[in-house]
Amino acid sequence: MGRYNLSAQRVHKHASQLLEANRISAPPPWYDTIATFPPSAILVRPIFQRPTIRKATRKPSKLFSPVKLGYEEDRLRWEYFNDHPWELARPRVLLENDGRDHEKWDWSHALCQPETREVGEAGVNAWMRMQQRSQASRPLNGEAVVQRQMWLMRHENMSEAKAYDAARKELYRARHLQETEQRVAKEEAMHYGAYFGKSPLEVGMQLEDAQWENWKAWAEKETTALKALQGSAYTGMEVDSALDTPEVAEEEVQELAGDVPGSRAGQSARGGVAVHP
Amino acid sequence: MIIRSLMLRHGRLAPPRSTTPFRASRWRRCLATEAPISQTESSQQPLPSLDNASQEDSSEDPTIAQWNFFQHQKAHTSSLGGVPEPHYKPFMLLANPPRPQDITLELLLASQSHLGHATSLWNPANAKYIFGIRGDHDPIHIISLDVTAAHLRRACKVAQGVAAKGGLILFVGTRRDQARCVVRAAELAKGCHLFDKWTPGTLTNGQQILGRCKKKAVNEVDEEVVGFEPQLKYSSAVKPDLVVCLNPLENYTLLHECGIHNIPTIGIIDTDANPTWVTYPIPANDDSLRCVQVIAGALGRAGEEGQAQRLSRAQAGHVDYAATHGLEMPTKDEFDAAKRAQRGISEHDEDAEEDELLFEATPDPADADDVFTKPSSTVFAKTEDGLSAKTEDELRSKQTPDATSEVQGSSQNEAAIDGLTNVKAEDEQFGTLAAEDMEDLSAKREENADVASGPSVPKAGSE
Repeated sequence: MGRYNLSAQRVHKHASQLLEANRISAPPPWYDTIATFPPSAILVRPIFQRPTIRKATRKPSKLFSPVKLGYEEDRLRWEYFNDHPWELARPRVLLENDGRDHEKWDWSHALCQPETREVGEAGVNAWMRMQQRSQASRPLNGEAVVQRQMWLMRHENMSEAKAYDAARKELYRARHLQETEQRVAKEEAMHYGAYFGKSPLEVGMQLEDAQWENWKAWAEKETTALKALQGSAYTGMEVDSALDTPEVAEEEVQELAGDVPGSRAGQSARGGVAVHP
Repeated sequence: MIIRSLMLRHGRLAPPRSTTPFRASRWRRCLATEAPISQTESSQQPLPSLDNASQEDSSEDPTIAQWNFFQHQKAHTSSLGGVPEPHYKPFMLLANPPRPQDITLELLLASQSHLGHATSLWNPANAKYIFGIRGDHDPIHIISLDVTAAHLRRACKVAQGVAAKGGLILFVGTRRDQARCVVRAAELAKGCHLFDKWTPGTLTNGQQILGRCKKKAVNEVDEEVVGFEPQLKYSSAVKPDLVVCLNPLENYTLLHECGIHNIPTIGIIDTDANPTWVTYPIPANDDSLRCVQVIAGALGRAGEEGQAQRLSRAQAGHVDYAATHGLEMPTKDEFDAAKRAQRGISEHDEDAEEDELLFEATPDPADADDVFTKPSSTVFAKTEDGLSAKTEDELRSKQTPDATSEVQGSSQNEAAIDGLTNVKAEDEQFGTLAAEDMEDLSAKREENADVASGPSVPKAGSE
């Protein structure tokens, strides 16, 4: 072939020719091994793939190109992420342990812990809770919603819409619980003396203050330059113009409000947490 | 990610205690039989309390007291806390790389070996390795896991076989974080590694670039053999018998030189790489460090197994590969000099006589490697450069008119001198044409002159 250098594939043949012509006295160490395990065929056309969605005209050259893979869940994913676009902004961990994580996930369990309002045997409830706990390693994201929806559609014979509603409401509940736990944990920690650094609002104010100082310095420079320019036009005594900045009386800053949600002190807990319908 | 079953330390979701049974060794450690003083008292009490231990050992060495305290704490607190589930530990790919038997589709999937490049960047030559396309806005090719596994296993077989037959494997990985796995694989397979840039010409211009490499001669059980230093001093470095390249896209020059020198290569071929560059392509994701570490580890393990096979057979006395080193037996003087250098003693010494006896008594180390014809009959290094094989007689005949024949006219020195400059050998080749060839050449020269002079010379008629 013209463009290909196939000397790598002809290594064994070349060595055989050299041996035959007595150019080398002994075969190289890899000779027998490569004879036993020859390289696989290369530049081979792939298997003819019939696409699932048949188009009326399919060019022969395209028949052998790789096929786009499609799964049933793709449509459900499309629906979910269209309804919840910000879910795509959530970081997703692609790291897998041994490639068999999906075998441990049982989508028959709800995404959040089930309500234990029913008065049943204490043992039964504890067993259910333990079973649920085994599924704690499942991810809690849109993928979980889709898989749960698929399971409900297959095993509980729910319609797509009903399964979707059930699954996404389980996710909302689980996320709500998570956020509440995080908020309470932060409050507890701060009660015990932890501090979490500056909030985003405080950082923003700091940046704005820095810019303000920069502007002030620039403005002073501009003012003196302007004064000099104006002063050079006249020959006389300098008169204090209105451009002089008056001295600002330093006053103590009054604290208007005690607790602000984003501040270090945080919001005082007033009770009455929002109840999930 | 490390899972602790998302449990809190306290509260309604209490963590499970360790389910391992109480070990007797811990009980014995609690008894503190090592400390001689506290033996009698502790044997009566099963679990010595903290205060008793400190009171007993306060008069003793504080180190012993600290040790006892440490053991006591360990015994009481090691079972507390959460138990992490088995999870992925990145260092284990270097500490304990997977063997070829451990290659599964699940392992390759978890190592992200199926992720190819964007579909617009593909090389259609490796269409057969691709499973399909995935993605809507920026689709990528998915490499078939079973194809990856099959090719990787085949490459492992090749690496094992080459190592078993005394071949040298070179592992090359020039990307930033591939150094550790490259070195580890070379360690396992007792080969060489390269994690910096490949200097172009390392094989084709080996005498220049690797001329100052340290070389040593070893026998079939990998013990160093002395006496070959003068020959090794002027020979270029040994060329590898198999090259494993973890990023072929950045090492085209290396692979091209291997093709020139007829060296088989193994390489990780991504969807945008050219599979014809290497002898044994392994279709996989070369951008994922985890995937590269799995593949390098498997090949290193295969080399390790091959080396073990070779050594065990050599120790039993079976050497089933040819000696292709091109070295000749050292003279007695060379051997003595090497022994003296090894022992670091001067020339005029009483032990010189001992060395002479040793030289005669020890069996030929080079013979141990010989299965085929003795290497002294051919100069192997020459043949690799494409020149014809020369016999000892030819070498001697060329040596006599040479000005540098002050050196004793033994064949080893001729080989050494020939090894110095290839140019000289070529000149000699041209200088000593056979008489018949000279006649042919002169005849041809006359013919060409006749033809060039013109068509005025009438040809012999057809009559």
